[in-house]
Amino acid sequence: MTTGPYATATGLIERSAAAYVSGIPHHPADEGFFGPDSITWRVSTDLPSPIAGLRSLMMQALHPLAMAGVDQHSDWRRDPVGRLAATSAYLATISYGERAAAEQAATRVRRIHEHVRGVDTVTGRPYAAGDPALLLWVHVALVESGLVVGRLFGTPLSPQDSDRYVAEMATAAELVGVPRDMVPSTVAGVGQYLASVRPELRCTPAAAESMAFLLDPPGLDEDIAEIWQDIRYGAIVSLPDWAREMYGYDPPPPLTPERREEVRQVLGVLDAVYMGEPGVLEARQRIALRMRTAQRA
Amino acid sequence: MRGRRAADRRKLIAATVIGAAAMAGLALLRRRVGSLRLSRGLAALRLVARGGARYAASAPQLFAAAGENRQQLRSDLALETAEDVATTLGAMKGVLMKLGQMASYVDDGLSPSVRRTLSRLQDSVPPMSADLAARVVQEELGRPPEQAFARWDPEPIAAASIGQVHRAITLDGRAVAVKVQYPGIAETIAADLGNVALLRRMLRITAPSQDVDALLAELRERVLEELDYRREADNQRLFAAYYAGHPTISVPGIIGELSTRRVVTSELVDGARFAEMASWPQQERDLAAETIYRFVFRSLYELHAFNGDPHPGNYLFHGGGRVTFLDFGLVKRFTPGELQPLMQMARYLCVNHDPEAFRRNLEKAGFLRPGAPLSTEDIVEHMAVFYDTVRESRPLTMTGDYSSAVVRRFFDVRSPVTTYAQIPRSYVILQRINLGLFGLLGELTATANWRAIAEEIWPFVLGPPSTPMGEAEVAWRAQRPSAGPPVEESLA
Repeated sequence: MTTGPYATATGLIERSAAAYVSGIPHHPADEGFFGPDSITWRVSTDLPSPIAGLRSLMMQALHPLAMAGVDQHSDWRRDPVGRLAATSAYLATISYGERAAAEQAATRVRRIHEHVRGVDTVTGRPYAAGDPALLLWVHVALVESGLVVGRLFGTPLSPQDSDRYVAEMATAAELVGVPRDMVPSTVAGVGQYLASVRPELRCTPAAAESMAFLLDPPGLDEDIAEIWQDIRYGAIVSLPDWAREMYGYDPPPPLTPERREEVRQVLGVLDAVYMGEPGVLEARQRIALRMRTAQRA
Repeated sequence: MRGRRAADRRKLIAATVIGAAAMAGLALLRRRVGSLRLSRGLAALRLVARGGARYAASAPQLFAAAGENRQQLRSDLALETAEDVATTLGAMKGVLMKLGQMASYVDDGLSPSVRRTLSRLQDSVPPMSADLAARVVQEELGRPPEQAFARWDPEPIAAASIGQVHRAITLDGRAVAVKVQYPGIAETIAADLGNVALLRRMLRITAPSQDVDALLAELRERVLEELDYRREADNQRLFAAYYAGHPTISVPGIIGELSTRRVVTSELVDGARFAEMASWPQQERDLAAETIYRFVFRSLYELHAFNGDPHPGNYLFHGGGRVTFLDFGLVKRFTPGELQPLMQMARYLCVNHDPEAFRRNLEKAGFLRPGAPLSTEDIVEHMAVFYDTVRESRPLTMTGDYSSAVVRRFFDVRSPVTTYAQIPRSYVILQRINLGLFGLLGELTATANWRAIAEEIWPFVLGPPSTPMGEAEVAWRAQRPSAGPPVEESLA
């Protein structure tokens, strides 16, 4: 059990960028589990994905057992940036890597999960990270965040494409060990699932601490910290009211069209900063080229 | 008095021009030091935003267009629709590119991280597909390119920051270069500049006296103006008309009927690029350098215009000192009142050798805060390096060392003079003489009696021809319609 103060968030941009680049293959043997014509690629290349990422962490942390697993076992407090970078690398590999690479990454995660077991001090309930129910929560929180944040700040998907996205992403859940028939495959299914889980959700002290760290990461360069205010706003304004209330946040200022544009500008600047990191532009171009080729076919 | 004047004036000009430029850099560096702690990428963009804003605030009559800097054309990722353009250049990216371009005109001291972030940003913008470029031509010229031109090459030959260049042959058989702007880029950038909350934040740490809102309004106007290619065409026409018949300087003509807001067509010229010319024998390099030098200072003192982009990519060389000048996107026109103080400074420093008068003129022009607790000797000592090439009449070789010494002096924060120096907005662009022109001449290790050439050009000297090229210019000047009155007379 490790609790204690958090390390700083120094190097967040640099290390996330390096992790992302590591997940994008140069000459893939196959198109991976999703492929360049998938909705998944469209969503994950869309501008607001940093906000979607933050929002999904905020959602995921509301499950006490999921939160306990992270808080008690991982390097989360000692090296939060490393932990976030590892998640970025994993998601990039699952999304864009060839099948073998994705399977290998998923196997590694499942193996780590085997050792993550314990008792949540808040609810007194035992947990295991490999428990499909917990993995499913983490999965749905990610998918739903992609949909909601895309609708508010990105290029919205049609209802059909939204359903397709949910259905495609079921593969990601399956890769980490959730039986396919447990995973929602439509937007409506996502809504029903969320409603069914909600009684279990709450903001534990560990969740509150984690979010305090994520929303205002110490040690960020002051310019990035400034930009982070808008990323944080985007994540909070896109949370469901009930989730915001669990955290005890005041309602954020309403998302006016001007405010939306400002957040998009910040996302663009952040994206330009990100592109300045080694290898990011080339990785993006590899993805864009594959999407272009698929579109033509 | 009158007799002495002629001799006095020569140096002033080059000197002042350089001096003006020199001071601009100092203020910049102080600011830069303050931001070293910031994260590389974002600090870079913040600097870019400031540089762009400074440019906009400083140079109200400048028009910049696209510099053709991008090396690589990713045609495999070509933009196919106006929506692609908006996706690629929206969310501030087009604005940042434009600001970056502006900042680079006034600030060659941009740090490596700024340069890298900017060049990555530029690299991230693919060219237009052949169809998309054709659609823009159709919209602008009313006909598809195959009908507007006798021949049209659908493959772009060069990238511009907000457009690309195609080769074509006009219906009457002239070979031309056609610059085509990305569709929707003006609207995209206008939309981003309409929502200034973020920019206001990025500019927060500029000079406290700066009225940020006025600055942003100026910036918006400037950027949008630069998205109109008709400006660039007008500038190029001005230079082409002035240098018509010049023995060594040529400027490609604009084809008016094929030039609009988003398309600009000019004569296509073939020649050696700078890198190739740099391998020619020294004699050829000296001639090319002499032509470039004459072009810069003749344009300034006779045309009252300065092409602010002495970039190696903007010249074509034909041997015998003949040079074609390209890209008139960034041209500043000066009023006689703006040129006058430059000449006075050079005159008093290099010709009259009257340091106190030099200092008075520095102050009068706004380069030096009046009443600074500095000895005139220190000021002269600080400024002298900018006038080195024209202080004495003798052959002098430009070197990389000289241009870097000038640049170093420019950014010398340790000098007490720096604290009291500033750059009046009209002169900011002249920094390009230091940062661009002398760098180029240094690369060519060009030798000439620069002072003698300057004397030919200085309107208050109008010295006799000092080289064969000077002789040829006399003949050219004799046959061309007379220029306006010399600067000095018009102010007397």
